[in-house]
Amino acid sequence: MELFLIFISAALVNNFVLAYFLGICPFIGVSNKISSAFSMGLATTFVMTITAIVSWLLFNLILVPYNLEFLQIPSFILVIASLVQFVEMFIKKVSQPLYRALGIFLPLITTNCAILGLALFASMREYTFIESIIFGVGAGVGFILALVLMAGIREELELADVPKAFQGAPITLIVAGILALAFMGFAGMI
Amino acid sequence: MKKVIRMILTLSIIGIFSGGVLSKINDWAVPYIEANKKAATEKAISLVQPEGKNYERIKEAPFEAYKVFDEQNNLIGYSLVYEGNGFQGKIRLMAGVSVDLNKITALEILEQVETPGLGTKVTKEPFTSQFNNLITTPQIDWVKGVKPDKPNEIQAITGATISSKAVVAIINSGIDQLRNFHDSGVK
Amino acid sequence: MKKQVTLSKEFLKGLWDINPIFKQVLGMCPTLAVTVSAINGIAMGLATTFVLVCASLLISTIRKLIPTQVRIASFIVIIATFVTIVDLVMKAKFPELSKALGPFIPLIVVNCLILGRQEAFASKSKPLRALLDALGNGAGFLLALFVLGGIREIIGSRTLLGFQVMPNGFEPWLIMILPAGAFLTLGLLLGFANLYTGRRDRFEKEALQAQYRSVGKEAVFQNDPSEKS
Repeated sequence: MELFLIFISAALVNNFVLAYFLGICPFIGVSNKISSAFSMGLATTFVMTITAIVSWLLFNLILVPYNLEFLQIPSFILVIASLVQFVEMFIKKVSQPLYRALGIFLPLITTNCAILGLALFASMREYTFIESIIFGVGAGVGFILALVLMAGIREELELADVPKAFQGAPITLIVAGILALAFMGFAGMI
Repeated sequence: MKKVIRMILTLSIIGIFSGGVLSKINDWAVPYIEANKKAATEKAISLVQPEGKNYERIKEAPFEAYKVFDEQNNLIGYSLVYEGNGFQGKIRLMAGVSVDLNKITALEILEQVETPGLGTKVTKEPFTSQFNNLITTPQIDWVKGVKPDKPNEIQAITGATISSKAVVAIINSGIDQLRNFHDSGVK
Repeated sequence: MKKQVTLSKEFLKGLWDINPIFKQVLGMCPTLAVTVSAINGIAMGLATTFVLVCASLLISTIRKLIPTQVRIASFIVIIATFVTIVDLVMKAKFPELSKALGPFIPLIVVNCLILGRQEAFASKSKPLRALLDALGNGAGFLLALFVLGGIREIIGSRTLLGFQVMPNGFEPWLIMILPAGAFLTLGLLLGFANLYTGRRDRFEKEALQAQYRSVGKEAVFQNDPSEKS
């Protein structure tokens, strides 16, 4: 039950993009088309899940026992950067179609604050190993959801007559605001 | 090859340098951080147990709780820290409890992520002061829209019913825990 | 090679021409998350400026020693070090503020603004210029955060920097301090910034055109290069 709550909380109630403002850059940048939004979301979820695992191991097996918690930020960011590189090489080797679909998004993920945010939140809330993984998957699912919803709306917006000054980032932010309002409806679920 | 060595060398030097600087700063900061934490706990305890002068953490308890003493070192009650799910996330609170565990002295919400302006009203007057001298046996209950008429009832905030209910539920389960721990006889 | 700009221009450009938030649309996450009040905006702005200035200064000083292949990794480690310093100092000396800003101090590491300035400017410039550029961008970021935080605080909780500025009869708009309010306010601000810039550019062009006409030349106008960034 607790695990289910963590999942729902990360995916819907405290959606990373719409409630914590994490991962806004790809949210604005890659939400033009549903297809690319979905690929980006998948790639991010993938990295998020692995990050949740690796950062938990790093924090609880190395940093805490040796009282090195103050190295948390540099070590997490290095792990994420090398992880992304590794995932990119791995996917390239294993599956060419998958690489073509996700490849160009992977380098962007390093500077996606949602990933580092995930690792920091998980260690701050003292999640167990399993909880961290569920948290990572939930946050990823929430990210896909927000990104795909946004892309769907933006595809329609192409046809709308938006004032010139508001095209691009401004209208995207305003739509995101309305989406955030809608997501508040999930609040009572936990 | 030379390039690779240079790359590794640069990165290691930066890494070692950064680690060194950080450990120095960390050594400087830790005492302050500890002091801040202690001051925050002390402040919260003095708020929920205004007569308390001294306190001691109950180490055997599986949750965070403190024994609170007055000037003559007489036990005057407990301070209980407990958390549970609110409307949007965890609510962490501290409740002052009398020695017989039948009365709450005061309540202080330590951490919450409730809706600003609505759910956050549970952290403020007049909601919190309803818990002053509230009877805990039978369990705390809540009413909505009307004035509470029993000594174990509080009025839930309109627009923040779920947050109000959550606070009541957290205190109730916290006191149950404390009671079980107390009854098990471990002092 | 680009024409050398004056040192004061190096600083001033960050305030508006390439303002990190209004023009480059960088560093959105902390911008949106912490600006429920003006004081939070200022604190975040100062913390980010500190990291940006220190990192720019250090990186431009040692820019020739870092091999290009590992430059991003080196930049990130250096930035992360300064961020940790800020985090520890804030926890030690300003516990209240550190609690209010929460995990967003550590997240300065992934603020694209900082890495962006290192990559685009500090790693190619002399320390003095890098310092001025960092100060300018930091000030621009701080300014934007303050404006956003101020607007949200005034409308959302009737106060500015903790002092009441709206009459009691004014019912605060709760939405302004909710996440949705952050998106809406920033979206509107960006739109109005574009509107203003667009209009100013048009006036300048018209004035120039009039000038050219008076001397009998046909003016050829290109897009403003700053729009591209």
